[in-house]
Amino acid sequence: MTRYIVRRLLGMVLLLILVSAVTFLIFNVFPSADPALLRAGRQPTAESIARIREDLGLDRALPVQFGDYIYNVFVHQDFGRSYINNTNVLDQIRQNLPATISLTIGGVLIWMFFGLSVGIISAVKHRTVFDRATIGLSLVAISAPVYWLGLVALYLFAPDFGVFGLGFLGGQGSYTPFSNDPVKWLQSLVLPWCVLATAFAAVYARLLRGSLLDVLNEDYIRTARAKGLSERRVILRHGVRSAITPVVTILGLDIGILLGGAILTETVFNIPGIGRLAYDAILRGDLPIVQGTVLFGAFFIIIMNLIVDILYAFLDPRVRY
Amino acid sequence: MSRSLWKTLLALVAAVAVLALGACGGDDDESSDQGGTPAQSAGGGNVTEKLFAGTAAENRANPTKGGKKGGTFTILSAGDVDYMDPGKTYYSYAIGVQQAINRGLYGYLPGDTSKPVADLAEGDPEIAEDGKTVTVKIKKGATFSKPVSREITSKDFKYAIERAFTSNVSNGYAGIYFRDLVGAPKEPGKYKEIPGIETPDDNTIVFKLTKGTGAALAGALSMPISVPVPKEFAQKYDKESPSTYGEGHAVYSGPYMVESDASGKATGYVAGKSIHLIRNPDYKNVDDFRPAYFDEIKILAGNEDNSVATRRILSGESMGTGDIEPPASQLKRLLQSNKPELSAVPGGGWRMIALNTSIPPFDDINVRKAVIAGFNRNAARQQRGGEALGPIAQHFIPPGMAGFDESNGINGWADQEDWMANPAGDRKLSAEYFKKAGMASGKYEGDAQLLIVGDGAEPDKSVSQITEQQLNEMGFKTKLRLVERSTMFTKFCGVPKEKVNVCPSVGWLQDFADPQTMIDPTFNGDNILQVGNNNWPQLNVPAVNEKINQSKLVVDPAERAKAWADANHAVVDQAPAIPYMWDYQAIIASPNVRGVQNGYSTWWDLNFSSLR
Amino acid sequence: MSTGDPAGLIHEVDDQSVAVQEETGERKIVARSPMQLFWRRLRRDKVAMVALGFIVLLVLVALFAPVIVSVAGTPDPKTQSSEALDVFGTPTGPSSAHPFGVDRLGRDVFSRTIYGSRVSLEVAFISTGIAVLIGVVVGLLAGFYRGWVDTVLSRLTDVVLAFPILLLGLGLAAACSGANGCFGGLIQPGLPVVIMVIAVINWTYIARIVRGQVLSLREKEFVEAARSLGASDRRIIVHEILPNLLAPLIVYSSLLIPANILLEAALSFLGVGVAGGTPSWGAMISEATSLFPDAWWFMLFPGLALLFAVLAFNLVGDGLQDALDPRRK
Repeated sequence: MTRYIVRRLLGMVLLLILVSAVTFLIFNVFPSADPALLRAGRQPTAESIARIREDLGLDRALPVQFGDYIYNVFVHQDFGRSYINNTNVLDQIRQNLPATISLTIGGVLIWMFFGLSVGIISAVKHRTVFDRATIGLSLVAISAPVYWLGLVALYLFAPDFGVFGLGFLGGQGSYTPFSNDPVKWLQSLVLPWCVLATAFAAVYARLLRGSLLDVLNEDYIRTARAKGLSERRVILRHGVRSAITPVVTILGLDIGILLGGAILTETVFNIPGIGRLAYDAILRGDLPIVQGTVLFGAFFIIIMNLIVDILYAFLDPRVRY
Repeated sequence: MSRSLWKTLLALVAAVAVLALGACGGDDDESSDQGGTPAQSAGGGNVTEKLFAGTAAENRANPTKGGKKGGTFTILSAGDVDYMDPGKTYYSYAIGVQQAINRGLYGYLPGDTSKPVADLAEGDPEIAEDGKTVTVKIKKGATFSKPVSREITSKDFKYAIERAFTSNVSNGYAGIYFRDLVGAPKEPGKYKEIPGIETPDDNTIVFKLTKGTGAALAGALSMPISVPVPKEFAQKYDKESPSTYGEGHAVYSGPYMVESDASGKATGYVAGKSIHLIRNPDYKNVDDFRPAYFDEIKILAGNEDNSVATRRILSGESMGTGDIEPPASQLKRLLQSNKPELSAVPGGGWRMIALNTSIPPFDDINVRKAVIAGFNRNAARQQRGGEALGPIAQHFIPPGMAGFDESNGINGWADQEDWMANPAGDRKLSAEYFKKAGMASGKYEGDAQLLIVGDGAEPDKSVSQITEQQLNEMGFKTKLRLVERSTMFTKFCGVPKEKVNVCPSVGWLQDFADPQTMIDPTFNGDNILQVGNNNWPQLNVPAVNEKINQSKLVVDPAERAKAWADANHAVVDQAPAIPYMWDYQAIIASPNVRGVQNGYSTWWDLNFSSLR
Repeated sequence: MSTGDPAGLIHEVDDQSVAVQEETGERKIVARSPMQLFWRRLRRDKVAMVALGFIVLLVLVALFAPVIVSVAGTPDPKTQSSEALDVFGTPTGPSSAHPFGVDRLGRDVFSRTIYGSRVSLEVAFISTGIAVLIGVVVGLLAGFYRGWVDTVLSRLTDVVLAFPILLLGLGLAAACSGANGCFGGLIQPGLPVVIMVIAVINWTYIARIVRGQVLSLREKEFVEAARSLGASDRRIIVHEILPNLLAPLIVYSSLLIPANILLEAALSFLGVGVAGGTPSWGAMISEATSLFPDAWWFMLFPGLALLFAVLAFNLVGDGLQDALDPRRK
């Protein structure tokens, strides 16, 4: 097992370097804003531009620039400085990370709670009205774009202009870090959490329902029932335990993706997370920040993949590495 | 699946439909307001001033009346300052911050922006008749904050300007307005003493120039480059590449300062996020016009959605806009119900749609005139708030600046230049000009496909689309690219090699109160750069260049205004672009704030605003 | 030549596999092939059929958009009209001239919603098609030939999968949105860029699935049998393996299409989708974000259009999956 983990970790490093290389290529082969000019100000002279280009190391060959970047990242944990305002990229990411983490964790808790319970109940009450209603509603929830749901939710419930303005909610852009004001933090995240959770809850409800239905048809469930165990025990202890594996897999992947920045939700609700940071940086051609956020995002995706695979080994005794 | 599920889905659809219809009812005022285009002729008077009467804009005339000391002002901005270093910054928003924390030789009162006022200087600058010497006297007794804590002398101003030429500071306008100083470096490099800046005593500074451009230099002393910087303190930070003075360590001469530690490190500045200003404990009021009412000022970046920010400010307390403005769509409502919270000043600039005169088809002046004549400038202006937010621009010196009145004010020369006469667009006149260009049908007949590169953010995005539409109607084939604003400048419109035909999202703001700053960088053929070009039409007509260069040398204010008005006229005659607005900058503050807008920085004056 | 379903992908649990013909009065036993069962089950799924009908309707709307718009009497989607805005430049809402209101350039929202179907469908179908093509090729090569081919292709798939999706899409789209597009002007900004970006993002899922299927298929007896008969690699791939991929490919494509409609809308929403004048539902919602508290109409209609279109595809996809494996129901 340990050897497996070490192998995977080394693979992760290689993968991160490749991801970084692709990003670097995209941004250098198809350049957007010229970074030297971004720094140069309103009426630059040719000399000042050339000098800034030299300062930023942009006059060196591409492979050299890239090698330098990778070296700095892995050896010195130095992600460089933004082209726009010269801020330290790692600091910017650290500042924006808590908002993304808050959004993700809250969302996960809500959608897991609703998704799993609905999924279990649907499977148990297979083919009843409840079951069919949830399949239908969950399909609708999955089909709506999350940012549209966000806008509709705001239109209906935003505290300042919503049709049914709910005063206890925080408005758009009201995000405050937990350390500053826990109450406001909570208020500002309730609506984004609900919107984010809606689509995911639907997915997980369907997933668990399908998986549980498969499992409940297995022989060992029949045996457990025959042994006289209560239905609840049968379902929760034996059924869900086996059925949960695909859910865990997908959950891990989803968390990994969300931690890389839920751009759409963050944009609609004005939450200063990694997604926003990346989005702004991409549009402005701020390569160091883009590289940093992409690396972080990829890192979360890969590491969650690894964690999920390890958890698999614990959940499914047939899997051994 | 069964019927019950079907019913559920139908019920959902019905519910949504009901919601949609129900929401219809509440919007009567919207749907009944099918207003037509404002019927405005070129000489429409200043509607904006009338509309904003009764708003906080009136506080500018009497900026100290009703001022109350105390409280914290929270500013919501989208972006950050470009630099905290007064020697580097070249952005009106950032200059607004500098106005609170630093004093330069000259500055701007909130009300009158046509002329700078003496700040640390004693009286107006003395410019010799030949324009080659400028003498400024300096007030006694002003000091730097800790840890420097000594009196400010003329040498500190000298160092401030010298460091601006170093590559570690690399000021964006030093090379324009100060390049004629004797011994000024020709390009940014290592620190060098400039012999042309003389300091005969601690309270006098004399600028010696090789050419007679002293008037421009004197005007530029109202920009942050004239903020004194102590050499013994700043030198070690100026050795870094780039210099860390300002964002790292700094000292201050104004009533406020960035919250710092004992060594002068600006702990209150979090780059890209926030700036925390507190009162400067070492500040001594030496003949200063700043009342400095607020005790604390918090400036927060990251508020990109201006409609969200506007709502927050209006429903909150002690807040105001920084580099953002209330969306034009909310303006109607704001002018009805939130007048005291609103304010507007002329933005100190113009907006235009540049036509590339160096390549076909716009190398033909008749084609240009045809396009300008037929273009519906009202529609473009409507995207920025319409008539309420500024008059149609008829030339290139904005209202409030010397030379504006000399350029026939709001009407310009519309009676002589018929293609500028009708802002709603006159297609008949346009057809005539096309015919003069040899296109008998009265529309463009060539093959050229115009490349239009515009800003992808509203309202410029809409203006770009309107531009494309209008050009199509006049017979042009077009290719519209919408990109991010800085990309548009640095990669396309500012690079002649890219051969962009139309740049609809450009505009220009004054550097300081002088018409040279509005016309020289933007229409002088000598200033066409291969990268970072600001002469977007790439106008290069020797007679016009000559007029501009001559006007730079005029010293007497009245003659200077006249000279630049002439240069202005010469430029407009060349039909290089479609100017469409002298837009006002509207800003908003919370109801408990008595806001005073500064006409130079165009946002809230941090020194004069206060709580009610 | 394989008939039916040796890979066992279609499950025969239905009692319809054997039928009784009543017509001629004779009781006959008729065996049905798995593919026939597949279609039968699909046809009996009423909701999926209705959804399919809706999709057909949507395709017709997209094809005949100009006709619909002229019948409705609204202006075409690109006509700007400053008269429909009020003095301050605010768009006006639903009225007799503009049943769905106008946007900030005075363009009719009804027309734009109708025409928006073109972009959504075009992008979804074409990009999914390309993604499936690439994915099948990659997955086939990797699964069939294994060895270093597999390693290289799988690593490539891993790299793309490790990217945060939207960031990759944003980055590519933003990079190609310059005046000249990218790949030497081959891919122009607007629709081509979006299609390419979505295809690039999506092929990996197909490749992974196809690779997995091929890996298990190549071990089956019928492949061995074909090989022992002297069939070449190409023959085996084309005649033995590809037909068995058909059913799962149909199902996964049907899942990808609605996801790609949403992805195109998301890219347009973020500002890197189709170019300004072309109506796209996502772009319309994006324009609505700053105005929606006052101008709800151009958030509502494109959003509903997206919702119904995606829902229809999801329902059909569900139906296909159920037809493939009725145990799921």
